[in-house]
Amino acid sequence: MTTFTKKILLVDDNQLFLKMLSYAFKNAGFDCITAESGADALNILKTEIPDAVLSDYEMPWMNGLEFREELLADAALKDIPFIFLTHISDNELMVKGLGLQAVDYVLKDTPVNVIVSKLNNIIYTVQKQQELSKNELKKAAEALNVRSIPQSVPHVKGFAIDFWHQPYQDIPGGDFIDFIQADERRTFIVLGDIMGKKWMAWFFTFSFLSYVRAAVRFGALSGDYSVASILRKVNEVICLDDVLKDILSSLSLILIDNETQQISYSGAGDLPLLYYREKTRQLKQVASDGLLLGLFPDGRYTEQNIHLEDNDRLFIFTDGMTDFSAGNGKKSDYNQFMNNLEPFLTHNQSFKALEQEYFASSTSEKVDDCSIIQIYKVSRYD
Amino acid sequence: MIKIIKDAPGHLLIEIEVTEANLDNAEVFKSQVVELLDRNKKNIVIDFNRVEYIDSSFLGALVAILKHAMAQKLEVILTGMKRDVHDLLLLIRLDKVFKIYGNYDEAIIAL
Repeated sequence: MTTFTKKILLVDDNQLFLKMLSYAFKNAGFDCITAESGADALNILKTEIPDAVLSDYEMPWMNGLEFREELLADAALKDIPFIFLTHISDNELMVKGLGLQAVDYVLKDTPVNVIVSKLNNIIYTVQKQQELSKNELKKAAEALNVRSIPQSVPHVKGFAIDFWHQPYQDIPGGDFIDFIQADERRTFIVLGDIMGKKWMAWFFTFSFLSYVRAAVRFGALSGDYSVASILRKVNEVICLDDVLKDILSSLSLILIDNETQQISYSGAGDLPLLYYREKTRQLKQVASDGLLLGLFPDGRYTEQNIHLEDNDRLFIFTDGMTDFSAGNGKKSDYNQFMNNLEPFLTHNQSFKALEQEYFASSTSEKVDDCSIIQIYKVSRYD
Repeated sequence: MIKIIKDAPGHLLIEIEVTEANLDNAEVFKSQVVELLDRNKKNIVIDFNRVEYIDSSFLGALVAILKHAMAQKLEVILTGMKRDVHDLLLLIRLDKVFKIYGNYDEAIIAL
């Protein structure tokens, strides 16, 4: 599993003690932020979320208990492990602090290296616990056979379909993929991205997927295979669903008709697809015009046909593929992704090779879930 | 997270103070701007000049703010976007939903 630098927020009005402690934590490999008062700390917490807070008890204006109360009142901050630093071994104070869900107490005259080890252990235990809960959740989802990413690809006459998916930090997130074979002729390909990351987004993928599957199936029952019409129905229902209020998702919906060998496409706030023509050896964008699902009841969905010649490829992907961590921060660059992809295609790389040599080789730079689907038009002579 | 730069009749100009607008600060951003909308009942101009990167969680927060404002018949206007950030909004058609201007002077003409 990937390890990340632990970030700790130290709060103490004694500058000298703060410097000494901060020096010791940095030496032990921590990323350390310091604040000289509870108010300063609250300000910092507006933009940075540490792995733990170590706070002095006795501080002017806002003491440690009052600072802790402020954190508890904020849903985004209340679960950060909180440890009190105190001069005094006061039982009454400890009881009060524990009532405020402080994880532990550290006496200020404890040797600094012991304080560092104690913090390290606390963060490790909390993270281990979270990991265990996540594993339980994963196991439960697998047992219920709820998946937002399929285990295999469908076989469609005349085409080869492949996909690659990498969840952000190995935690299931907001990307979802599905292949729905509506009948012997028609296969729908679904790629969505709930706006958000990790567990919260993952949870909502199932609601969106259920609506998409239902709309495809009901459409097929009434003979309506229009991808734009399916998106319209899905969007209308999502806009009416109170549970999904403020939850938005992009969606690319593709239909492959193996009889006519035609592809039709409609998109909702998705990134333009990339179409590689073997004849010209160039990648071209294929943009849709629909808005994100859940934004407005009228999502303005239209559809277009895409005609692939032998050996042409169509790529459908989420923004995790185009976002990456650069030297001095994160970056979102669709054109760079496209320009880097093209040379692999002109050298006729297989999807497997693309996975290994391009997609997976840069996973350490990824900052979001990554998903990409390739539709390859098989040559009649293969 | 945000700084109020100007409290003008009819609108507020606020600036996003982070360079990475992402999952870690999206929820705080949303609640702060929603509170400003509820308290002041004024249109909001958001200056993005410091923002180098925006992720989908933050875009989600931005859209939730827009929906909240529209329900109160208020406007949310975006200005000062860096090219990468602006390009991303164009790619996913959010330019059809938000009013986006190069700078504050252009934005107030539209208000």
